[in-house]
Amino acid sequence: MLDAFIQLFELQNILFLVLGTALGIVVGAIPGLTASMLIALTLPLTFHMDPVSAVTLLIGEYVGGISGGLITAILLRMPGTPASIVTTFDGYPMAQQNKAERALALGIMASVVGGIISWFFLAGMSPALAEFALQFGPWEYFALVVMALVMLAVLAQGSLAKGLLAAALGMAFAIPGIDSSIGQARLTFGNSALLTGFGLLPVLIGAFAISQVIRDACAPQMTQKVPVPQKRLPIFGSDVKTHGLNMIRSSVIGTWIGLLPGIGANIAALVSYSTAKQVSNEPEKFGKGHEPGVVAGEAANNASIGGALIPLITMGIPGSVTEAILIGALTIHNLQPGPLLFQNAPEVAYGIIAAYLVANVIMLLMMWGAVKYIAQVVRIPRSALLSVVLVFCVVGSYAVNSNFTDVWVMVAFGIIGLGLEAARVPLGPFVIGFVLSPIAEEQLRASLMMTDGDVTEILSRPYALLFLILAVLTVAWPAVVARLKPARKEEMK
Amino acid sequence: MYYLSNKRTLRRGFCTFLATAGLVYGLGLVGPNSAGQAQAEEFPSKSIKIIVPFKPGGRTDVVARLISEKIQEKGLLSQSMAVVNADGGAGANAVAQMRRGDTDGHTIIHWHHQALIAMAMELGDFDMSDFRSLGYTGGGSPVWAVKADSEFNTIEQLVDHLKANPRSLVEAVGIGTIPHFVGGMFANAAGFETRYVTANSGADRLRLLLGGNADIALFAASEYLAQGDGLKALVYFGRERLPEMPDVPTATEAGYDVSWTNPNWWLAPADTPDAAAEALSAALEAAINDPEIADYFRNNTLEPYWMSGADARADAENVLVRLKKVAETIQ
Repeated sequence: MLDAFIQLFELQNILFLVLGTALGIVVGAIPGLTASMLIALTLPLTFHMDPVSAVTLLIGEYVGGISGGLITAILLRMPGTPASIVTTFDGYPMAQQNKAERALALGIMASVVGGIISWFFLAGMSPALAEFALQFGPWEYFALVVMALVMLAVLAQGSLAKGLLAAALGMAFAIPGIDSSIGQARLTFGNSALLTGFGLLPVLIGAFAISQVIRDACAPQMTQKVPVPQKRLPIFGSDVKTHGLNMIRSSVIGTWIGLLPGIGANIAALVSYSTAKQVSNEPEKFGKGHEPGVVAGEAANNASIGGALIPLITMGIPGSVTEAILIGALTIHNLQPGPLLFQNAPEVAYGIIAAYLVANVIMLLMMWGAVKYIAQVVRIPRSALLSVVLVFCVVGSYAVNSNFTDVWVMVAFGIIGLGLEAARVPLGPFVIGFVLSPIAEEQLRASLMMTDGDVTEILSRPYALLFLILAVLTVAWPAVVARLKPARKEEMK
Repeated sequence: MYYLSNKRTLRRGFCTFLATAGLVYGLGLVGPNSAGQAQAEEFPSKSIKIIVPFKPGGRTDVVARLISEKIQEKGLLSQSMAVVNADGGAGANAVAQMRRGDTDGHTIIHWHHQALIAMAMELGDFDMSDFRSLGYTGGGSPVWAVKADSEFNTIEQLVDHLKANPRSLVEAVGIGTIPHFVGGMFANAAGFETRYVTANSGADRLRLLLGGNADIALFAASEYLAQGDGLKALVYFGRERLPEMPDVPTATEAGYDVSWTNPNWWLAPADTPDAAAEALSAALEAAINDPEIADYFRNNTLEPYWMSGADARADAENVLVRLKKVAETIQ
């Protein structure tokens, strides 16, 4: 391991890491462009590098890409990457309350803490954790996603009915496309453009970024007052006490959810956000610019990368598209990730682990240094800023699959998002329903295929059962609290 | 600096810049062809777009990138090549891209036999008549593997068990993907039946098998070898045993008439002119015969070879007939 760090500090490798992280942050911050696009673009360049330099560049991009998303989520309410959806919930209200710098500083701190905590899991417990993650079969995935979906109901602000309506709509839009359980077209109306279904990125940037662009464009030009940057970033010693526990909890949740291939950073951030809200003494403040909301999401989404790297380097199982490309980069150098990687190319296996830690530190230094200037983005006239954002949204949604239909999908969802918000239907549950329901559906149907339609199997699976119990508790908790409260009051009397 | 002080000058400066850039760009385009107007029809006259119907990073994508790099490096075609990933819709997105592009050979697809499966399942709105086959640049065969601590050590044991206890084992497949069809062909030939669990990628199959949530899964030979002692391969679907795993019998040796090789298949639109198709095929053939490419193939348990467009088409048509039969039984 030490060798790996020494090797990493060779000038060339550290330069690639810095370059990768910087590119990652920029691309991550731009709505529409994601880390996986950046990595796909740089993949051909890595053909001619040595394998260690190649992975350091790509890991830097990966870490930077997830971290950069918080910038636009907080300042513009447009998640720069899908993993930053929950950061918009509290980050943007904070920015509107003139606490943009504070929100950014907290988000960056949380990201780094998340990254470092998950690094300890990655470096110290990889084989054991990978074993554990493998025990998760379709039933466990299904139960986990059901739990996340139930938490969503709790997340819904304001009217519960509207929250559920939004989630149901999101789920409905996830239906068209090729039904992955039977390989047949579903609700495509014979249109081959619909065979792909609605992509995550076009829907997401449509619902968040495009709707915001349209809304801002319609709003009268207002000159937003931005406070003069302070000399020192607003992070205090007392934050360790206020946010420490939340950071650790969110990082652990992020790491563990990241462990599960195919679940990913978005869901990690969502679950840790809902958990933070549930255990909070003041859950009503969430969604209105509450600091722990920003911390929970950003700690978890960064931690999930460390988690996702665990099955990647120990088993060769990629957890996301980004990691699948990482594997591609290794195979070009005749390295097959898997248990044998540590024997065949220890410098690469340990190089990935070391690069992950250093990338987090570099990310901290860069974003810390730049945050004051980044916060000034909102001073740029809206008209100029939004035009640029719009261009990137179009480019980004086209670039995912080089398909122009996706651009129209994005525009359509921009209008849908606008309509939903106008009807005071929250966008969060809409997007989350859209993201989660295909996983729940596929996993449930896989489970039922596996057991020939026997549902009771779920009861004999301890982890699955645990998630279901947690889900039931989540729903029942408010009722229980309501019961307990009068009792407690009587006691006090 | 002074233009910045004056907007009009700035605009004029910008126009001059645009004009200059346009001129340079125009010259750049004309440059290579200006040597002789007689050769104006020569192929290729501009950059060639290679559509890969998958996300980046997979085998098809990597092979496309390696081969196109080699073609550029050795100057096998006079223009550059760019790989474009168009995932989605079981290839329908890629085919739609191809149809929108040029039909003169400047837009081609690098695919594999998943294309035939989509045709057999009638998923997309395309079939063989949409394509002109340029050739195969090598290919590879998969193995059927079980977990290392499985009770089954040979393919006979597994088949006997499944015949005695139908549907007693779980096979990780993506319905309507290659593992599903290869498993289905094998099951039809040997006369047994498995239960399925959905696994839409190699990563999913590995996860389910190693975690004990599936009993059998299909892997590329290189995927299997990378797992070291974690997995046990029972049967190889290639025509001959693979040197890296000398103890794994082929299905034919085990007495079942099943083999499956998934080639790297290069396709162009059906009405691509002969001259362009021949130029592309020649470049591809030269690239696959390059020692560096051949090394990459062998290290990844792929076999580097060249099969001409017509032969590849005949082979693909045979496979399609077989796949259609399987599709009838599994749909």
